[in-house]
Amino acid sequence: MVFSILVLGAPFNSQSAYSAFRFVKAVLESDHTIYRVFFYQDGIHNSSAIATPPQDEFDLYQGWQDLQANHALDFVTCIAAAARRGLLNENEAQRHNKDNSNMAKEFDLSGLGQLVEATALSDQVITFGQ
Amino acid sequence: MSQPKTQKILIVNQSAPYSSGNAKESLDLALAAGTFEQDVSILFTGDACYQLLTSQKPNEIDSKNLNQMLKVLPIYGVDKLFVDEQSLLDRNIQYIDDDIKVTKISASESRELYQNATTVFRF
Repeated sequence: MVFSILVLGAPFNSQSAYSAFRFVKAVLESDHTIYRVFFYQDGIHNSSAIATPPQDEFDLYQGWQDLQANHALDFVTCIAAAARRGLLNENEAQRHNKDNSNMAKEFDLSGLGQLVEATALSDQVITFGQ
Repeated sequence: MSQPKTQKILIVNQSAPYSSGNAKESLDLALAAGTFEQDVSILFTGDACYQLLTSQKPNEIDSKNLNQMLKVLPIYGVDKLFVDEQSLLDRNIQYIDDDIKVTKISASESRELYQNATTVFRF
């Protein structure tokens, strides 16, 4: 089965982001596949490049980045949801005249059309959060 | 990659208009899905009923009036708006402006909406 995942919760703030992470790992360890992971609403915070959890806690940010790098997954962060919450990649930082960017390179910024497309091309969309 | 097929997307809106970003971000998704020619329905339930009141003046709290977005949804092909009748009764909301084309439905009709949808997004 082809899954797409919608992540709506931020790390630490809610359990949903970690549950989504565990679900994606479980899918990858099975015969099923992940078409796309879409980060929307507070879920965009998962793509922060600078969040730094205490060293004795699981680093979910790094977890997502490693997962993407190891499995070449399609991670898409909603560009509008990210910009209004203060998460920008280099392109967006330049476009909005901001001094810094803070988004991990494993995530692509794009629009909600990517979630709609994922819905059409996956057997199931599983939402984490809300 | 298989051929994209039209999905029956149900967006369930349960949040009050300005207490969180849910109302705005659910409408953004509805517009995107409509633009991509998906079969979109929106169900307003619980405190989301307050999104349908046209007498609101959100400019006083520096917010944009979401009513304007609701009114333009049909232009984007999103014209199936439903509201849970019981939620309206519970809140003593007796009148919804004709500008907002929304159909009152019962709990059993809500269940049908869920059953007929291929994907449900809740906000």
